[in-house]
Amino acid sequence: MLEFYEPQPDFGTPQSDSETLVTLTIDGISVTVPEGTSVMRAASEGGVKVPRLCATDSLKSFGSCRICLVEIEGRRGFPASCTTAVVDGMEVRTQSEEIGKLRRNVMELYISDHPLDCLTCPTNGDCELQDTAGEVGLRAVRYGFEGENHLIAEKDESNPYFTFDASKCIVCSRCVRACEEVQGTFALTIDGRGFESKVSAGQAESFMESDCVSCGACVDACPTATLTEKSIIEAGKPEHSVVTTCAYCGVGCSFKAEMKGNEVVRMTPYKDGKANEGHACVKGRFAFGYATHKDRITKPMIRESINDAWREVSWDEAVTYTAERFKSIQAEHGRTSIGAISSSRCTNEEVYLVQKMVRTGFGNNNIDTCARVCHSPTGFGLKTTLGESAGTQTFASVAKSDVVIIMGANPTEAHPVFASRLKRRLREGAKLIVIDPRKIELVSAPHIKADYHLPVRPGTNVTVLNALAHVVVNEELQAHDYIAERCDTEGFDKWVAFIADKRHSPEETEQFSGVPAADLRAAARLYATGGNGAIFYGLGVTEHSQGSTAVMAIANLAMLTGNIGREGVGVNPLRGQNNVQGSCDMGSFPHELPGYRHISSAVTRKLFENEWGVTLDPEPGLRIPNMFDAAIDGDFKGLYCQGEDIAQSDPNTHHVEAALKSIECLVVQDIFLNETAKFAHVFLPGASFLEKDGTFTNAERRISRVRKTMPPLSGKADWEGTMALANALGCDMHYNHPSEIMDEIAKLTPTFNGVSYKKLDELGSIQWPCNDHAPAGTPVMHVDEFVRGKGFFAITEYVPTEERANRKFPLLLTTGRILSQYNVGAQTRRTNNSEWHEEDILEIHPHDAEERGINHGDWVGIQSRVGQTVLHADVTSRVKPGVVYTTFHHPVSGANVITTDNSDWATNCPEYKVTAVQISKVTAPSRWQARQKVFDTEQLQLLAKARH
Amino acid sequence: MRASKIDRLVKMVNQISLNMSSNGPADEVAMQVAEHLEKFWSPPMKSLVSDYADNNTVGLASISHKAVIQLALMQKAK
Repeated sequence: MLEFYEPQPDFGTPQSDSETLVTLTIDGISVTVPEGTSVMRAASEGGVKVPRLCATDSLKSFGSCRICLVEIEGRRGFPASCTTAVVDGMEVRTQSEEIGKLRRNVMELYISDHPLDCLTCPTNGDCELQDTAGEVGLRAVRYGFEGENHLIAEKDESNPYFTFDASKCIVCSRCVRACEEVQGTFALTIDGRGFESKVSAGQAESFMESDCVSCGACVDACPTATLTEKSIIEAGKPEHSVVTTCAYCGVGCSFKAEMKGNEVVRMTPYKDGKANEGHACVKGRFAFGYATHKDRITKPMIRESINDAWREVSWDEAVTYTAERFKSIQAEHGRTSIGAISSSRCTNEEVYLVQKMVRTGFGNNNIDTCARVCHSPTGFGLKTTLGESAGTQTFASVAKSDVVIIMGANPTEAHPVFASRLKRRLREGAKLIVIDPRKIELVSAPHIKADYHLPVRPGTNVTVLNALAHVVVNEELQAHDYIAERCDTEGFDKWVAFIADKRHSPEETEQFSGVPAADLRAAARLYATGGNGAIFYGLGVTEHSQGSTAVMAIANLAMLTGNIGREGVGVNPLRGQNNVQGSCDMGSFPHELPGYRHISSAVTRKLFENEWGVTLDPEPGLRIPNMFDAAIDGDFKGLYCQGEDIAQSDPNTHHVEAALKSIECLVVQDIFLNETAKFAHVFLPGASFLEKDGTFTNAERRISRVRKTMPPLSGKADWEGTMALANALGCDMHYNHPSEIMDEIAKLTPTFNGVSYKKLDELGSIQWPCNDHAPAGTPVMHVDEFVRGKGFFAITEYVPTEERANRKFPLLLTTGRILSQYNVGAQTRRTNNSEWHEEDILEIHPHDAEERGINHGDWVGIQSRVGQTVLHADVTSRVKPGVVYTTFHHPVSGANVITTDNSDWATNCPEYKVTAVQISKVTAPSRWQARQKVFDTEQLQLLAKARH
Repeated sequence: MRASKIDRLVKMVNQISLNMSSNGPADEVAMQVAEHLEKFWSPPMKSLVSDYADNNTVGLASISHKAVIQLALMQKAK
């Protein structure tokens, strides 16, 4: 997919989704298009380009530039082709002497107020204004430049990634409309009238001061050099591009990595990417500089103990050393004394190889993945109720939703490109129910207001979900026919007897959840009767002691109302990292082989044993928390950790650090010396997503290609590093390319049987299951029947968490994410995204702050039952009284020093979202923070000795 | 102070039992809990809690105790 650089095709106006076709002629060419298509788009589809400036196919037609005029037989004048819809039999002429003259006259006016510095302009050769001047044949500007103009307008360079050069603006409004229609932020406007008209961010603020979220939609839409990436200003126009997939959140946006040699100079959202359809967020669009950051470690390193300096070695020496250490540990402490943790940031092929190496080379099933600490309850809950551990829809499906429930998720911060789709649908009139302790942006945003915000007390999600179902059942709002046809009716009858009990009524559950009963009843009625109901949920559902119960309760609610199995409905887990779905699919849990097949199944094991040439252990291995416990107990001595920073991301940092210090051989494979690597004995340099081939699977089950844009800085992509280690351990692992790994996955996994790189290249992406039954993939799951046959209504008894507030710890801390930073921040902290979020802060309600004498910006100590940390306070009513909130993007914050190892009953997913704490004003960092600073400095010095 | 190995496992079994407690009669729930442990726990964890339940009921809820006894039977049947 390497291509010479070309701007992406632009048909001028959006595609019509009408099924009625219309035939017309344009310049004598017969064109057939859907009814509702503009003449401009029809012309483009027929191979005729009509010059334009204010039109682009990501935006509704606007009709302001008057360049795209055409002649239509039988009609007077010169209608704008962008705002004129096609009619059957219409005859259109796009070129004539008169049209040419009109276009040149208009163009002449534009150019009379535009600097003629094309040769030194950053978008020289990639400018629609320049192209259009050429297309209309403009040869002279009669008006001169002596009159009043905008040529000395000031540049706004406040945004770290792009400039706004008002002198080059033609006020076409494309940027303003992109901000409204595509992104849904409404940060831009046209200020003033007539000659004074100008694009303005916010209330005449700079871009950085305004509400701009730096998604780049305005930059993509700009037809001139007014809004230009700073990377392009510095490097110039790209010369080739590679289509690949973003390595940030679970939306899985498709991008064109635009290159000069081996250097990425711009990432542009790919219009044909089905997850994002040409949109992006500040992370994927701009925050790619970490890949070449000076902190990258590109050589393998080893050391005897964590107090020793690192020593750079060859790949061969590093993997041989590791293999010997691991074998020696197993010889002394037993086969199960070592294990591995893989990462949702790595490709499907890489996580597949890690679990294969563990099961064949380590000879045990001690493989777990970071999904353990985020969406493992989704796997358990959806498999139990629906039969498959995955979301049911496409993101595009939300365009057909009538009522949307957002629960424990904050899409505008964590899944921004999906949020833009959702906001578009909400502006069209869909209803919204937000279930969240915080007033997330969707509760009240420009042109959006949630119909109901149910501000649930952390730890009581199950009471709210049960109460919603209780109302539906007791008010007879359920989908009787759907349930009778699609669900296990015996289980349903048992469940109805359970859920109809008065203890689940909103009036009874209000005492636990804090959600007003009347609001909850109204929300239940709306979801059950409002048309297509879709539920989107995040880690605010799963990261609880009852995460699995809550997921099952969500599935119950959707089945109860007939909201699974078609477009516009469904149960949709919003995955935190890019490849959470994929890493789970690939058999990264200790009890499952790829395709969610239990390790105890002799038939499944035989399939893999025949392929891999080994005998597999039929018993589940250790989960991540079990590994930590076993390490402290002295039973677990060797760990290979690929692409995951458990020291920062996992709960109860003291416990994690104690476990890591107990491990005799800790091997970390990463692109940076992350927090975990500071406890490591072997460091294997990782490759960023730009340096390797592979696939990611997003939250829609969409498998998309990751394509190498540059050679791996360390000489090996991660799959090659794992393969080298596996071979050093005595496995016979030889792949020439990740496509061969995918072929093996497809051969062994029924839901992937039809997947290949060839088909991915042909189709762009594929949503599994993809096999003989669904050769092109499966956009919507459970259409005719559930994967398990009949849908199962699981009993979802509310069990209060043991992590409760009391007099000593009266507040409940919950954690989350922010738009500009990603997970542990290892990538985004090494980009200019830190200008938006330099540190993690503690949100506290004004009432709670006042009681403690805390003012905005004060240092506050946050003490839980397991630890203390210190952050600056943000006094805000975004949180309700009794609840405090922070993010975990900076290691120095120690957010996980205070979270406990309380976990989900079924999966051991940590209960990050509920920690009882006390807050007090302090003047110094915590003892852990002080110790961490010293440890960090020491470790960086030990690294410096290796790099000298 | 850190809980002992067996204390942690006992706590986990009790948590599973409590969350499954409304699934049916006690014997049925105990069987479900045992199946859950069999499906998701590693062999050393299963052995440790089974050995404990052979001689102790301390800390184990009634359903948990039944479940662990059942688990031990499942292990022996292999």
